[in-house]
Amino acid sequence: MVKVEVFSSPGCAKCAQAKTMLKTVAEEFGRDKIAWREVNILEEMDYAVDLGVMSSPAIAIDGQLVFASLPSAAKLRAELGGRLR
Amino acid sequence: MYTIGKLARQADVTADALRYYEKEGLLAPARKTDAGYRLYDEDAVRRLRFIRQAQRCGFSLGEIGEILALRRSDAACCKDVRGVAMDKKLQLEHKIRALQVMSRALTELVSICTDETGPLDECPILAALETSIATQVKGAANG
Repeated sequence: MVKVEVFSSPGCAKCAQAKTMLKTVAEEFGRDKIAWREVNILEEMDYAVDLGVMSSPAIAIDGQLVFASLPSAAKLRAELGGRLR
Repeated sequence: MYTIGKLARQADVTADALRYYEKEGLLAPARKTDAGYRLYDEDAVRRLRFIRQAQRCGFSLGEIGEILALRRSDAACCKDVRGVAMDKKLQLEHKIRALQVMSRALTELVSICTDETGPLDECPILAALETSIATQVKGAANG
């Protein structure tokens, strides 16, 4: 199971749109393969800082910051595909 | 209208700072007198207040310039400014974390010094700093 955590702040319309698209990409792999969690950066600031998140939105996979900004669908698909291989 | 000295006093900055803000494109006088003295209007007062407040929130002059540009841009909206503020907050949180690490290191150094009257060449703080420098140099050589 690959753990995907998307860090963003509530009320960010741009993030919401992109997140929905990326979540769809993750779900293509099957819900049993990907654990998707949306993290409110304001509520979990310490955790975000622990992972080295320097700007919002960002994506961590399996507890490591992988995308410092939201990736394209293709990039996320490639990253997750590589981890599930 | 305000002269540079009057505006500077009102905002508790120096006249040099105002000239520097002008050079950085952040704050321009409304006009200059025939003798070349800068004169500022109420807009400049508001703008200067904005700059000072943003500095207090940790923004650099470069970043303040970006925010002011966003304010002028028709394409930008509040979410762009919010994004800049969010990223600045994250940077500050990282900085706070780094400062806490430094503070803890100092606590350790202070706690190993139990005799304030000892000679300087037996100072455990200096010795600890020397050791950590030596360890770092050794680490760098091995790495």
